[in-house]
Amino acid sequence: MRRGPLVSLVTSSLVLSACVQTRQVADVEFEPPQGDYSLIVMRPDVSVGLLTAGGLVEPRADWTERARANLLKALAEQQAGRGGKTRILENRSGIQGVSADQVAELERLHAAVGASIAIHKYMGATLPTKRRRGLDWTLGEDAVAFGKATGMDYALFLHAEDSFASSGRVALQVLGIAGCFIGFCAPQGGGGQSAYTSLVDLRTGEVVWFNVLQTSSLAPGVQFGDIRTPEGAAQMVERLLGRMKAGRNIRARQ
Amino acid sequence: MNPWHEALPLTRRALLGGLGCTCCAGLVGTAEARIRPADMKPLVGAGHRPTDKDEQGLWQQYQRVEEEIAGSNLLIRDPALTAYLGTVAERTGGPAAKDLRVYLAHIPEFNAFMAPTGFMVVFSGLLLRMRDEAQLAGVIAHEAGHFLRRHQIRQWRDLKRKTAAMNFLGMAAGLGYGATGIYAGDLVRLAQLGGILSIFSYSRELEAEADAMGLRQIAETGYDPNAMPETWQQLIAEVEASAAMRKKRPKRGYSLLATHPAPEQRMVDLRASARELAAPGRTERARERYLAALGGHRKTFLDDQVKLNDPGASLYIIRTLAKDGWNGLLRYYEGEVWRLRGQKGDDALAGRSYAAAIAYPDAPPEVWRAHGYQLLKEGRRDEGQAALRRYLSLAPQAPDAAMIRHTLGQ
Repeated sequence: MRRGPLVSLVTSSLVLSACVQTRQVADVEFEPPQGDYSLIVMRPDVSVGLLTAGGLVEPRADWTERARANLLKALAEQQAGRGGKTRILENRSGIQGVSADQVAELERLHAAVGASIAIHKYMGATLPTKRRRGLDWTLGEDAVAFGKATGMDYALFLHAEDSFASSGRVALQVLGIAGCFIGFCAPQGGGGQSAYTSLVDLRTGEVVWFNVLQTSSLAPGVQFGDIRTPEGAAQMVERLLGRMKAGRNIRARQ
Repeated sequence: MNPWHEALPLTRRALLGGLGCTCCAGLVGTAEARIRPADMKPLVGAGHRPTDKDEQGLWQQYQRVEEEIAGSNLLIRDPALTAYLGTVAERTGGPAAKDLRVYLAHIPEFNAFMAPTGFMVVFSGLLLRMRDEAQLAGVIAHEAGHFLRRHQIRQWRDLKRKTAAMNFLGMAAGLGYGATGIYAGDLVRLAQLGGILSIFSYSRELEAEADAMGLRQIAETGYDPNAMPETWQQLIAEVEASAAMRKKRPKRGYSLLATHPAPEQRMVDLRASARELAAPGRTERARERYLAALGGHRKTFLDDQVKLNDPGASLYIIRTLAKDGWNGLLRYYEGEVWRLRGQKGDDALAGRSYAAAIAYPDAPPEVWRAHGYQLLKEGRRDEGQAALRRYLSLAPQAPDAAMIRHTLGQ
């Protein structure tokens, strides 16, 4: 077949284009927390859904609940392994001496700052004022006050989305790749994960470390962990938080 | 202006941009006929809870949204006014009466939206424009109608079905081309357009349903059904007045990609439906009760509105409210519209409004300040100073009191 090599190149690259990506950025003076530190995990923002044939993600309440519980458990175990004291905030009114409104405000502030980090550090809109300065964002006095009120050293924010292809979507994925053999290549994205996490030093208010995880696949049936299961959740936590790199200046001095 | 929004994030750009490889055929609805209120039966009972997976997922997301909204600093936290809005929702909510929650957001726009879980957000700009409780009840009942007719989940399912159909057909056409060499690209594109249009058409159909459902609810609970077409009449006229003062053509507000029916069509349908529902005993307007509940907020909302730099709309709103009688507050803000526009001759118009305003017992203290400065500008020094002194005596703690005293000392 004349088209043989091309087809196999295209199909194999489609299958290979299925991937897991993480990219972390850190404050230039960031040292990964070790030993005797305390960390509060802010209520994780988790959403798991079904990828429909038309490409829409339909949120699923039961999957989301399961994934949230698994991620919380995995986080606590992972942090315990680093020696830290971890406290998980499951809802806004969970802390004595800090009102639910204050927690909500910190969450919203972080959402705004996190969006800014995503735009300027990940989506290519680099800021000339922040060039070569590592991660240079802060939550300011509110975060310091929150740290004093809770007695915690760090706050961790986590956002995680996962989706799974419906059977209709999988059928389309199969057709899209099968079409390559007759000259109509129309690969369709399957489910995938997208998550980010950020670490805030509550003694200074600064966002000291940020990591983004993305998994996706154009090949039907390929998955990179299922956060609805304890193993999949542990895998996501490990990918996000497992290899925390020190900041540039610290690495240069080492 | 995009009033009475559906709660699903169904935007044109999201739909047009997000469909990707899509196609479909024969899904376009025909011209939309009026939906009769008599045909509108609530589809939820009291204490509705989702049982299907897709609706449960939607609810879970919106519970989070409600938590955010309930804690938003954009909300007007006046327990009396919020409770009042709740009573109107309860009265017009049919079987969902006890399930509806109303949040009032401080946003000077004519808008409101309903979430699939039973909470609605009413914008302060909407309360400004309502002449009485019957008009307000019409809007709230329209929003409640979305809930009673389960619009969000129905729209979601429609969207799911159509995007899937378009995707499958696009794939089939592509595979057909690959296998047989028969090119169907132009037909596919036409069908894609048909599919997209039918999604927007369904959205407009649901809006028309909410109108009919809401109208039925207000009429059956004793309000004057004519209040609802009136609200539309006001909205259309406001858009025209706004455009006229800017010397621009008003937006017609209708296209095949509109998520809401054309205002004119909506008004015509609402009028016809209101005629069907009119009956003795369905005449309540409750203007006094509405004004009492609104209290001092009307002043705040007028203040927000005149600062939007939309003099045509602002004057239209003020004059519409004045159909129930001029007062010091409305005259003052009429003057403010002219003063803030600040074109040649507007000074004199503002001055006339202020002079008229001080004659009313409800004139706010600021009228005396505005009136005083206007008189000073006209060279009427003694009268102007007297007006400013009157302002100081009415509002001795005013933040600008020191500046006024300085003016008086010159």
